[in-house]
Amino acid sequence: MTFKDFWQFVAPTRVVAGRGLLEGAGFEFAKEGATRVLVVTDEVVRGTGLVDRVCDGVRDGGLEVAGVYDGVPPDSDAPVVKACAEAGRSEGADSFLAVGGGSVMDTAKAANVVFTHGGEPREWEGFFGLPRAGDGMGRPEELAPLAAIPTTAGTGSEVSFAAVIKDREAHLKFTVADFPMYPRLAILDPDATATLPAPIAAATGMDAMTHAIEGYVSTEWNPHAGAYSLMALRLIRDNLERAVSDTSDEDARGNMLVAANLAIMPTSSGAIGIAHSLSHPCGAHYDVPHGVANAIHLPWAIEWNAAGGEEIADRYRDVNEVLGLEVGGPGEEVGRVLADHVRDTVGRLGLPTRLSEVGVPESGIPQLAEDAEGDGCTLVNPRETTAEDFREIYARAL
Amino acid sequence: MGYFKNEQEVYDTIGKLFEDLREDDELFGKFQKANTVVQYRFRDPESTITVKMLDGEPGQVDLGPSQLDPEVTMTMDADTAHRFWLGKVNVTVALARGQMKAKGPVAKILKLVPLVKPVFPRYKAQLEGQGRTDLIEVA
Repeated sequence: MTFKDFWQFVAPTRVVAGRGLLEGAGFEFAKEGATRVLVVTDEVVRGTGLVDRVCDGVRDGGLEVAGVYDGVPPDSDAPVVKACAEAGRSEGADSFLAVGGGSVMDTAKAANVVFTHGGEPREWEGFFGLPRAGDGMGRPEELAPLAAIPTTAGTGSEVSFAAVIKDREAHLKFTVADFPMYPRLAILDPDATATLPAPIAAATGMDAMTHAIEGYVSTEWNPHAGAYSLMALRLIRDNLERAVSDTSDEDARGNMLVAANLAIMPTSSGAIGIAHSLSHPCGAHYDVPHGVANAIHLPWAIEWNAAGGEEIADRYRDVNEVLGLEVGGPGEEVGRVLADHVRDTVGRLGLPTRLSEVGVPESGIPQLAEDAEGDGCTLVNPRETTAEDFREIYARAL
Repeated sequence: MGYFKNEQEVYDTIGKLFEDLREDDELFGKFQKANTVVQYRFRDPESTITVKMLDGEPGQVDLGPSQLDPEVTMTMDADTAHRFWLGKVNVTVALARGQMKAKGPVAKILKLVPLVKPVFPRYKAQLEGQGRTDLIEVA
């Protein structure tokens, strides 16, 4: 195995996983410096009664609940982030606890930036741009304590350093990312996904599978990230279909929470790929849910990449080995076997397998391809992919 | 001590590269798809290059103070920029290490990275033509 010239792996979030942890949320969050907590969530999650249990758990740990902000929509936007930050100030909070899926967690993370440093959410757009000591080159200033309790098993936002927020006027999503945005605490309790509908469990689970596979084969792969990817794949292999076919299976739900948590970790090294590049424009232009888009694109991305050379094919061979698939033959064959396996899995999960099933028209391909080429994930894909290549892949996936 | 003695040396080398690129209709036309104004803020020596690459508008390169309102700002040592244009810097690694700081819609700039590969030998040839092989050898 090559010893790479450079890699960086970051995993600063304290993760507690297990059963009965919602009731101990305050006990754990107190250790991170929280005393007066703004709970951030959405109306759907609040309607399940989960938030009341978490609030009780916060109080039981000796903390105060400053308030509950439940105004986060499915695709959160800049005004929501600002309103959430203002709620934190007006309620006298000193910390944030996100209870929800990716949109809720990203809102809380971006709101924490505005809460701590002020300004408008888009003023903080970019990577590693938060205030730092040493003329901007030293240690970044800390944000307020933030904890997250994910209610879906896919995004992994509870242990990532980025928040993706929509600018509805500009019709785009922007990213705010820096080290202080890693939540200080993530609580993984299968009770938090007990009411998750099967189709959402399926789509978010495929998002986790995409993170794990793309993270392992990206140009930014490294041994640290790879360890997380392969363990995530083992858990997904054994638990995704169980968690979807029987949503009362607490073991499967718990293991999928852990799988999603592990699968996102390669992105801390910048490891990701073109399944995401293909999916992001479909979400922006046609509102295709991210997990569904990844489920459709992942097999096509695998086939394309695995045919890109022996070094890439070897990375996929490792993935196939974990999934119990054939590892021999040329790269094209390794990719085809894995892609077929993913397609079969997606089919059994009841998710769409074609873009035409989710409202993407053939006429949209040129714009989608142009956007995919310019997506940041394309830069770290193991095989160079041009706009023409993207057009071809979209056409195959149509 | 960095590669460049003063800001004028930055403008004479990296700045000239941008100015020449602006005159290349084919390549700059591709850059204009980014549809943005980017400002490169260099340290050691302090220097600034601002590039307007807006779709359908004439390109503009300002060396030093600029009236343009940048949408994206990229901050780095002038040495890092120099090594980038010689094809010796991996942008994703440089961002991860904090050698490059990006503010604004960074995706617009990342989109250009695959397009700039043909520029690397061009920069090297330019430096050779300017008698600045020292800058090639030191990087």
